[in-house]
Amino acid sequence: VFRMYGSFRVLFQVLWAHLLWGWVLGSELTFELPDNAKQCFYEDIIIGTKCTLEFQVVTGGHYDVDCRLEDPDGTTLYKEMKKQYDSFTFTASKNGTYKFCFSNEFSTFTHKTVYFDFQVGDDPPLFPNENRVTALTQMESACVSIHEALKSVMDYQTHFRLREAQGRSRAEDLNTRVAFWSIGEAIILLVVSISQVVLLRSFFSDKKTTTTRVGS
Amino acid sequence: LPASSGGHADWPEPGESLRVLLLNFLCSSVSSLYFHIGETEKKCFIEEIPDETMIIGNYRTQLYDKQREEYLQATQGLGMYVEVKDPDEKVILSRQYGSEGRFTFTSHTPGEHQICLHSNSSKFSLFAGGMLRVHLDIQVGEHANNYAEIAAKDKLTELQLRVRQLVEQVDQIQKEQNYQRYREERFRQTSESTNQRVLWWSIVQTLILVAIGIWQMRHLKSFFEAKKLV
Repeated sequence: VFRMYGSFRVLFQVLWAHLLWGWVLGSELTFELPDNAKQCFYEDIIIGTKCTLEFQVVTGGHYDVDCRLEDPDGTTLYKEMKKQYDSFTFTASKNGTYKFCFSNEFSTFTHKTVYFDFQVGDDPPLFPNENRVTALTQMESACVSIHEALKSVMDYQTHFRLREAQGRSRAEDLNTRVAFWSIGEAIILLVVSISQVVLLRSFFSDKKTTTTRVGS
Repeated sequence: LPASSGGHADWPEPGESLRVLLLNFLCSSVSSLYFHIGETEKKCFIEEIPDETMIIGNYRTQLYDKQREEYLQATQGLGMYVEVKDPDEKVILSRQYGSEGRFTFTSHTPGEHQICLHSNSSKFSLFAGGMLRVHLDIQVGEHANNYAEIAAKDKLTELQLRVRQLVEQVDQIQKEQNYQRYREERFRQTSESTNQRVLWWSIVQTLILVAIGIWQMRHLKSFFEAKKLV
């Protein structure tokens, strides 16, 4: 009987988790945006929800991208051109589908990798207490504050990883470029110097019967 | 993220069916981030993760119905092909799912994993020039944990569950930091290799320059002497 009660309790708690407003969704994605391309994402948001859109360009070209956020009526809430990193918070004033787009249309041949994090509302509570009348105990509130702190640690880690990925891709680019340029330059050196000598020799060729003294 | 219904033997029958029913209803009404994909288009997402990290992806597709001018709820016969590649370009998951699916994989090497989705539609009339709407949700590491299930399975109290969540979070932070150390080492190796290359190539190029100069002078001198110009 006790086990049955426990199972029912979990059932109700799971159901309650689903029914709470401002449920979920933190979507975090990294995708590749080819040159001259535009990629749009949509999300249905309820009025009054606090949302945050954060994006960062990870690799490609000058590490910049155009970003645009529109509300259900098509009004532009946020528009920035050629931005490397930004964070935008807004509260949904209307119900409906919000749309945000990343555009690489200004670039002719570099494709970019873009990371974005779109948080809608708050995270669902871990163990919702619909019957809770008392406040959280000291232990529980300590757990909650540790949880929030760890969440921000993980957030910082993500941003650090993205910046490090940027630096690393630049360093690897530089490494291959140095190799190619050095080999290319050595070849050019050899070709130019040999052709110089050949050209000079051709000025003094024996085809002419009268040898004219040419000032060296 | 919908909690999966556990197959517990001690669940009373009506309770379980009610829960499953309600969960299914709520699943389809919960919308997540979506985007549009063309018929032959392949959309790829990159996840840079440390090793031994679990990733759960959920997707749901909707096809545009031109007659009713809206997106249908579920499409028959339309599936999505999911392909996951590890950092060494090796395919670790390659499966076809229905119009709604859930894929899971665990990384065994740290690095950039690529998750690619494309539709398997063979009936070209299905799309009819429209786009397919794909709802996608990818949960990484600690976020992929289903705490309701863990609480039920291990029979944890609320405080125990909270502490368990903290433990999982710290675990993931530690894995990420290990990965960070590995990446920093790679970065350092690349920089040192660039440094060495720049050094060696400058020396080699100076030597080539000097050698070429000497060769040119000697060659031309002997050439002019042969021509009796000097």
